Amino acid sequence: MRSILLIFVICAVAAAGGFLAYRHFAQPDDIAGKPLPAGIQMNDLDGKPHKLDDYRGKLLLINFWATWCGPCLHEIPELVKLQTQYGARGLQIVGPAVDDPDAVRAMLGTLGINYPVLVTTAPEDMIKTMEQLDNPVGGLPFSLLIGADGVIIKRQIGEFSAAELTQLVESQLPK
Amino acid sequence: MDRRPNPLNRSALLATALLCATAASAADIGALWSHQASAGTQLLPVDQAFALVSAERKHDRIEVTWSIAPGYYLYRKRLGFAVEPAGKAQTLGAAQLPAGTPMHDEQGDNEIYRNTLVAVLAIQTAHAPQRLRVRYQGCADAGVCYPPQTKLIDVVSTTPH
Repeated sequence: MRSILLIFVICAVAAAGGFLAYRHFAQPDDIAGKPLPAGIQMNDLDGKPHKLDDYRGKLLLINFWATWCGPCLHEIPELVKLQTQYGARGLQIVGPAVDDPDAVRAMLGTLGINYPVLVTTAPEDMIKTMEQLDNPVGGLPFSLLIGADGVIIKRQIGEFSAAELTQLVESQLPK
Repeated sequence: MDRRPNPLNRSALLATALLCATAASAADIGALWSHQASAGTQLLPVDQAFALVSAERKHDRIEVTWSIAPGYYLYRKRLGFAVEPAGKAQTLGAAQLPAGTPMHDEQGDNEIYRNTLVAVLAIQTAHAPQRLRVRYQGCADAGVCYPPQTKLIDVVSTTPH
């Protein structure tokens, strides 16, 4: 009996420790579960305006990137594959670039991006948009997955792995 | 039949339970850390990651110093220096930079700096600049890059003119 009690106490202490560690280390994904702020608009490289609101009804993956960001360039081929694979099922990726439009144009050919690349007149404007979307440090790559209802499902600063991306998109698209 | 518990079995049971509980907790904490790295929630603000410490004039040169936080690095090819405001009389020589650590990534072959970086700029003593415009850009080992920074910094003199 005493040994069972001892085991119970040890488990309770471990569980309490785990919970306290969670409370200490975990930071809530603040913006997830909230609607994408309305009225965000950027231009594509031809100057055509794109309102993010206009993608309502699709599973929208917004991937902020830049030509000076190695992890972004590493991630983009996976996004290209994802758009090819899941576009017909309702996935739409857009790639706002925190960059000079000319630098983006010069790199587009080598990247083979098959989704809209968006820019602002000054990169600083794109940084402000990222701040609005809960990326205060301006870190890249920065991705938001938005449901068809316009609600933010996932926010991530840093690269997704191919497996993570596939699992995430599969879990949100209709079967 | 002897119904007394075997002390050896009891110890083994206890040890197993302790191990399982500890392992479970450790796994939870590990998963949380992993999540934090991927979510970038522990990223330092850019001015803490790459602190532009000073621009010190020493006779015929200016030394620009950064303190770079552990786990972060600056790209050599993204460093830039100019006199502020731009003036014909005040010119800077090409920056003398220490050899960086070679790194290859999607941007090709690079040199990066960690910990501390001191860039040395030659100046004409008769027209020493009072202020510099400094550009730099870096990333975190966690796989996140920061936008290029442009800062104005006053030049302080540490030696008699």
